[in-house]
Amino acid sequence: MAKSKVNNTSKPKIHAFHIINAVIFIVICLIVLIPIWKVVVDSLDLKTAYGMRFWPKEFGLDGYISVFTNPTLYHPLIISVITTVGGTFLGLLLSTLTAYVLIQYDLPGRTFISGYLLFTMVFTGGMIPTYLVVRALHLTNTLWAVTLIPAINIYDLVLMRNFFEGIPSSLFESAEIDGCSPIQTFFRIVLPLSKAGLASIGLMFAVNYWNNYTNYKLYINDSNLYNFQMKLRSIIMGSDLPSAAGSATENTVRNAAIMVAIIPFMIVYPFLQKYFVKGINIGAVKE
Amino acid sequence: MAKKVDPAIAKNLELLKASQRRSVKKRIWKYRGFYLMVLPIIVLAFVFNYIPMFGNVYAFTNYNGIKTSQPLLEYLQEHWVGFANFKKMFSTAEFVKAFGNTLFMSITKLLLNTVAAVIVSLFLNEILNIHFKKIAQTIIYLPHFLSWVVTASVFTMILSPTSAGLVNTVLVNLGIVEKGSEIYFLAKSNWWTFWFFMINLWKDTGWGTIIFLATLSGINPEIYEAGDIDGASRFQKMRYITLPALMNTIVIVLILDLAKVMNLFESVFVLQNDAVKISTNVLQTYVYYQTFQSATIANYGYTTAVGLAKSLVGCALVLICNWLSKKVRGRGII
Amino acid sequence: MKKKLVSMLLVAAMATTLVTGCGSQAASTESAASDTTAATTAAEAPAAEEAAPAAEEVAKPEKITMMVDGTVVTQANGRDAFEARWEELTGIDLVINQPDHDAYYEQVSQTIASGELPDVILLSANYYSSYAAAGLLWDMTDAYENSELKASSRFIGDSVEQGLKIDGKLYGFAPTRGNGCVTYVKQSWLDNCGIKAPTNYDEYIAMLDAFTNGDPDGNGVDGDTYAVSAAGYVGSEAPFTNYMAEFYQDAYPSFYQKEDGTWVDGFTEDSMKAAMQRIQDAANAGYLDPETLTNGTKDCRNKFYEDKFGVFTYWAGTWATNLKTNLEANDLNGDLVALPPIAEVAAGGGYFDRVPPVWCITTACENPEGVFKYFIETMLDGGDMQTLWTYGVEGTHWSTAAETFTFGEGEDAKTYEYAEGEFHMLENLETPGTFYKKNHIDPMLSLAKFEGEDPGLATVADEAKASQELFNNNSHVADLAVTTDAMQEYNGDLWNKKAELIAKVAQNQMSVEDAYAEFEAGGYAANSQAIVDSLNALN
Repeated sequence: MAKSKVNNTSKPKIHAFHIINAVIFIVICLIVLIPIWKVVVDSLDLKTAYGMRFWPKEFGLDGYISVFTNPTLYHPLIISVITTVGGTFLGLLLSTLTAYVLIQYDLPGRTFISGYLLFTMVFTGGMIPTYLVVRALHLTNTLWAVTLIPAINIYDLVLMRNFFEGIPSSLFESAEIDGCSPIQTFFRIVLPLSKAGLASIGLMFAVNYWNNYTNYKLYINDSNLYNFQMKLRSIIMGSDLPSAAGSATENTVRNAAIMVAIIPFMIVYPFLQKYFVKGINIGAVKE
Repeated sequence: MAKKVDPAIAKNLELLKASQRRSVKKRIWKYRGFYLMVLPIIVLAFVFNYIPMFGNVYAFTNYNGIKTSQPLLEYLQEHWVGFANFKKMFSTAEFVKAFGNTLFMSITKLLLNTVAAVIVSLFLNEILNIHFKKIAQTIIYLPHFLSWVVTASVFTMILSPTSAGLVNTVLVNLGIVEKGSEIYFLAKSNWWTFWFFMINLWKDTGWGTIIFLATLSGINPEIYEAGDIDGASRFQKMRYITLPALMNTIVIVLILDLAKVMNLFESVFVLQNDAVKISTNVLQTYVYYQTFQSATIANYGYTTAVGLAKSLVGCALVLICNWLSKKVRGRGII
Repeated sequence: MKKKLVSMLLVAAMATTLVTGCGSQAASTESAASDTTAATTAAEAPAAEEAAPAAEEVAKPEKITMMVDGTVVTQANGRDAFEARWEELTGIDLVINQPDHDAYYEQVSQTIASGELPDVILLSANYYSSYAAAGLLWDMTDAYENSELKASSRFIGDSVEQGLKIDGKLYGFAPTRGNGCVTYVKQSWLDNCGIKAPTNYDEYIAMLDAFTNGDPDGNGVDGDTYAVSAAGYVGSEAPFTNYMAEFYQDAYPSFYQKEDGTWVDGFTEDSMKAAMQRIQDAANAGYLDPETLTNGTKDCRNKFYEDKFGVFTYWAGTWATNLKTNLEANDLNGDLVALPPIAEVAAGGGYFDRVPPVWCITTACENPEGVFKYFIETMLDGGDMQTLWTYGVEGTHWSTAAETFTFGEGEDAKTYEYAEGEFHMLENLETPGTFYKKNHIDPMLSLAKFEGEDPGLATVADEAKASQELFNNNSHVADLAVTTDAMQEYNGDLWNKKAELIAKVAQNQMSVEDAYAEFEAGGYAANSQAIVDSLNALN
């Protein structure tokens, strides 16, 4: 990544290596795409097929139309967007704050806090005790249950801390000398220098929230609060799928639903990539 | 925690020493703001993770998941079975087999996936054309978003012994396999295991690269320039600059994933069939079949015991690897 | 700091509620119970013409809470209208708890664990017998035996209800039968091969041979098809053999009760060995889909729609229509013959009927007699209430007004016209472009007839009706699973071994003799015997 930055100024020399590398990636991409292509073709094909086809026999968008004309789909979509945006924000807030605390090496109790949090990764209480707590707090059938619980993600938190550790400590020192409070340091130095980390951990949170199914399954039984994933799941798993919208078959609708679940991340990812490519420009801060 | 070798952290160490001269009280006061910052997650983790952990006490009872009007202590006394649930677990050969399978399959999977993700990240990093790089990245990360049920049904078709099976068709056309004796991959446990790993690679390699790519983007370009000046070859730079920069992230990801190693379930479950079930069972699928076939609701005491055993193994794995990491690299993740 | 203190206190309080079982609840429930009884008005019993023996007044509950899966119209599909209509018909407040269909049993377990039991709950066979054994379900034997419904000549389900008894006691009521599979054969394939629907196993095999080696799909190529496909050589839940009835015939791979009441493991009987041999022979001859082992039911359906095979044992009723429409969407002939059981299957009692899901009254219910009378019995009242449970609400799910529907656009558009007074289902709110099919009770599976005419029977497609009638007349109910300690201990491993052996024999990886030798040597035969003994000890 950094390399390409350097190369932008002086024209890159194209080596045999680059060509071989590109060819290998083309092959890898094709192999990765084959199984997905099967789903894509099936979602656009009005004729059901068991085997692999590389092009639809009878092309038609009816599968997608019947997924999208479903009036009960908008509401879950809104729920998904709200919880994904809100949850990702909350998750990032908790993780970055905690990760920032965990890189204060002479903070008394730092080891304890770290162990306290890591312990929860390994030991769990199980389905029923957790439910009883959620219920005792009157959080069942509220979006809090499905937003708060996934926000505690120790895995992402530790990775976040790892990104923070990459920030040169000299920057913290100079900030302290300049009279920055910890909070100011956090917002002026730590966050701006961790864009790649924030983007990747944020993506992980977002995917978690978007794909959240288990928490809805356990804590929500009001269909007004179902998210998109719950809805899609019932379309995909539903054994009694009626042949909907015009000539779409059971199989077409099902595959269209599967595709609809992937598309948001096909769209979002390229936007996030710019943070991965640019990353932190340490050179600029170094002086 | 203890020894840090990284130059960046060496500085912090100095700070640490300096501050140790001050009293703990003073340090606590100095960091009061930080405690406030960490308070929310402490409280949330206590509520949603620690309180439910009391539930683990049921591992030593024959609790059936039904609320009683008895006070808890009385109930526990009456239904206390000691270590019977744990004895029951390890008394059958099938359970032990499933236990071994879980460790073997998930650790192999973890190593394969991590190595693949690292290699792919390194080489993705070398692609010159930004657009091609973006497209390639997006494509290889897509399979992560297909659910396991869908993945299983697509791969069952691709691995089919009939003309619908892409793999067999390719093998026949290459002359490796004779027509008429196509391999029923998923029906033979060795092949099944092989393809289980392949499918996992297909599904999660791209997703795994995200964290590595983000780390790579943080490497100071000046180091590469220095490498260029020293006349380092491409692979030397990869070996001596890029890989070490990634090492910390690799170790962290490996150790964190170890904690989840015993939870293998859905990916195995959806790919299993009658012919390979016994030889490919993992803990979770084993417990599932036990419950399902005994025509009863889950024995909550027993499943809690299995869960606790899983936690203990996961905990041990994490601690061992953290210790190893400290020994070898001078730092762990905890 | 104050906030922190408050939150700590809160957390501590929660910890105590979690740790101590709620002992005070029982008392409050009791007082509530007496309140309700006092407040309830005398039941306005419909003038009992038959002067049923149960003359004692049953108090009418004020409120009933129910927990149900997705088999009752969901919220997105007009559940509020259902609730309103139900309340209008009974004058009782109905509280519905309806979790997502796929999450139903997780939520049931959680509800049971938290102790907030509903009055009535719908349970599948496994949960029914387990919760009954745990003492969570009200014994409704007397209520049922003395009910007007049972005495009514409209009621045809007594044998089903008797089959639900555990130790002679009834803890749940099934308004419908469980349904099962019948064998469908493509009419066009029969025609292309010039054969008739088989009536015995020899004819069946002859048909499979023609379908495998001939050109049943008429594409000019011989031998590019196979005859039968299924999802696995044996099912994973009772009644196990339902997807391959013709091969199993009278064999049953798991535990069942003989006519004299003794339990046996059908897997150890000679009939099972013969069945495994039949499957192996058919697989060797190429009649069976080579991917039977790894097929999911969806794969089978897709292959069937693609004309890869022609004989499919699948669910009776609605699925007959689904198979037909999907075949037609693929430009194939959708005519299917629902095969009456061949002689050998008929000799074993015909097709298998699953144990149906049952409505149970929990022990937490304050007025179980009232709930039985006003909730369960009315479900099959033969009138408005049965219509509600079967077809839904007039104006929301069905109507008799003159109407025209056009689904789709352009050349694909389909128009449906209904005259005034013609009963028809309305457009599905959740899946536009389709009609509602039914509410909780499938009219073809219902255990009670309507008083007079079934108002909506005409809405059931002919092929669905035909296949369902065929099934209803040619099936027997599977045994309710009984669980013992030995069963819990061994049956998981035992069943996996049986399934593995069946699969390996079918794949020609071993002979039937070898399979049984392995079964014996691995100690499975002994475990099987242990389970049989434990079951017989119950008698």
